[in-house]
Amino acid sequence: MPTNNSETSRRFVFPKWSNLLRPALAVLMIGGPLYLTALAWYGGSPKTLDIGYAPVQPVPYSHALHAGKLGLDCRYCHSSVESAAFAAVPPTQTCMNCHAKVRANSEKLALVRESYATGMPIPWVKVHDLPDYVYFNHSAHVRRGVGCVECHGRVDRMEVVSQVETLSMAWCLDCHRNPTPRLRPPEFVTQMDWTPGEDPAALGQRLRQERNINPSTDCYTCHR
Amino acid sequence: MPRWIVYALVILAVASLLPFAFIARARGAKADRTRLRPIQNMGTQQKYLPQSENPLFADSRAMRPAVEGAVRRGTVIDDGAFARGRAADGQFVAEFPVAVNRALLLRGQERYNIYCSPCHGLTGAGDGLVSRRADALQEGTWVPPLTFHGDQVRGRPVGHIFNTITHGIRNMPAYGSQIDPDERWAIVAYVRALQRSQSATVTDVPPDLRAGLR
Ligand code: HEC
Ligand code: HEC
Ligand code: HEC
Ligand code: HEC
Ligand code: HEC
Ligand code: HEC
Repeated sequence: MPTNNSETSRRFVFPKWSNLLRPALAVLMIGGPLYLTALAWYGGSPKTLDIGYAPVQPVPYSHALHAGKLGLDCRYCHSSVESAAFAAVPPTQTCMNCHAKVRANSEKLALVRESYATGMPIPWVKVHDLPDYVYFNHSAHVRRGVGCVECHGRVDRMEVVSQVETLSMAWCLDCHRNPTPRLRPPEFVTQMDWTPGEDPAALGQRLRQERNINPSTDCYTCHR
Repeated sequence: MPRWIVYALVILAVASLLPFAFIARARGAKADRTRLRPIQNMGTQQKYLPQSENPLFADSRAMRPAVEGAVRRGTVIDDGAFARGRAADGQFVAEFPVAVNRALLLRGQERYNIYCSPCHGLTGAGDGLVSRRADALQEGTWVPPLTFHGDQVRGRPVGHIFNTITHGIRNMPAYGSQIDPDERWAIVAYVRALQRSQSATVTDVPPDLRAGLR
């Protein structure tokens, strides 16, 4: 049969490069999920979501000034940290110990004076916040010689407190499995710039033996 | 292959890297936004934690402040020398109601350095960092702390110093709510040790150590 030329020219013919579509589809099917997984893993990791959270506080209170320059010990304000699970943010009275006399007319402290006069609390924004199904205890750590700096970083250099660790379960367990190099004598827990005069592992080993420190990794330690 | 497809593919490949670049930037930066919690998993439960908010109360404190005069369960109501620093006749006691030993002094040193040294200085001379800074500001409201080494404080009975910590005195704030009575006595003992150390003579040094001084 004679072919109708005009008909063939209208019929669609796949060009030669379209043979590449099949391997391209394979690449997409494997690469696509891989790409999405990588994106979720990188973007959803606690390192991205949790580290660096630094909410604006109602009073421009600076740890760099009070704990750094003025050298106040953390326990002057967070006085329950050694005896309780919770490291309380100080009541207004604690600020007024000094600010009744120092910077007594400062604009920046207006809210503190108002809170003192009316008895309404200062609405500090919580920075570090574990999920409610986790049990954490400050005194169990501080009294056994885990310094504030191990979990909160150099607070004495922060104008605004920010979170520097993930506070994820993996992070807790990393230390509970091997706390040795991160232990110090309990009298130095609040000293931010403390360095062991010797090998930290050797010192940690000695402290662990002397004080029988064995953090547990059982689930009910932190989920009770 | 037509050119435009090649270009589109190259642009797509580059664009697919953009989310990673944004995330990498967010990782290094400080953020004021509340955190994203894509999966909640009972992370926020219907319960009140210490210092959390409860809108039912006018001051929104979930932790209710103790009613005036309330006594904590398990506390012994004691208005003797240990809790008040005063004897039965109301006079300040001159003797410690606790045993003074090395452990008490070390505890006192630790507590003193936390609560008192910002104003009174590490030796009690009144030259703490806060005091020096407040002096330098010259606002006219700051009264420098009294040195412990003058006759006035050296002459105070221990009960008076205890009472000073509990209730404050003149321009000094009260520390009774921050420091428990046993710790207050430890601090008083350490203040006494500081006073002695600042006016020590060579006879205070045990004889076998005296040679090392020269
Ligand atoms: C003069 C009182 C004062 C001193 C001293 C002080 N803090 Fe604070 N701290 C506060 C106040 C007030 C807040 C709440 C406001 C804020 O987050 O900045 C706070 C918040 C914090 C937070 C964040 C709490 C949260 O919401 O998660 C941490 C962590 C912290 N302090 C650690 C320290 C450490 C470590 C030291 C010792 C180096 C220290 N602080 C010394 C008053 C003090
Ligand atoms: C032990 C004494 C002390 C305590 C307690 C204290 N401060 Fe201060 N604070 C100071 C001194 C001293 C300065 C002035 C420092 C300077 O200007 O160099 C200051 C400065 C400030 C300033 C800056 C004021 C200005 O006008 O520049 C703010 C804000 C402030 N404090 C907030 C607080 C808050 C909030 C608390 C309670 C959590 C608190 N402070 C507790 C001693 C104290
Ligand atoms: C083992 C790690 C660790 C150490 C050590 C540690 N913290 Fe914390 N801190 C945390 C965690 C985790 C939270 C969040 C607790 C929560 O949300 O329940 C927190 C919360 C806080 C808060 C907010 C109030 C609260 O309890 O939730 C303050 C204030 C604080 N820490 C101060 C300190 C100070 C001061 C020290 C040193 C004396 C210290 N922390 C040592 C892990 C630690
Ligand atoms: C830097 C090291 C370190 C980190 C980080 C750490 N811990 Fe610990 N933890 C310890 C040590 C040390 C002990 C004390 C063990 C002992 O007393 O034998 C302890 C004890 C505890 C206890 C008390 C156990 C008991 O027997 O009562 C709890 C609860 C706990 N940790 C929870 C946590 C949680 C939750 C986190 C993470 C948010 C965490 N820890 C992070 C070192 C750490
Ligand atoms: C040292 C403390 C610690 C121990 C021990 C521990 N966990 Fe956790 N766990 C945590 C913390 C902290 C979190 C919260 C992490 C976060 O912020 O997402 C958590 C979260 C979880 C979650 C929720 C995860 C999510 O993202 O929803 C599960 C499930 C869990 N833990 C199971 C376990 C089991 C099972 C064990 C025992 C094998 C265990 N945990 C032991 C500290 C601990
Ligand atoms: C906020 C700064 C500040 C702090 C912190 C402080 N003091 Fe004072 N203290 C003062 C001032 C100011 C005076 C002088 C009061 C006056 O003369 O008006 C004083 C006076 C005293 C006196 C002498 C009172 C007398 O007349 O006999 C004693 C004793 C004393 N303080 C003990 C302490 C002890 C112990 C602590 C620690 C628990 C402490 N202070 C913490 C500011 C402070």
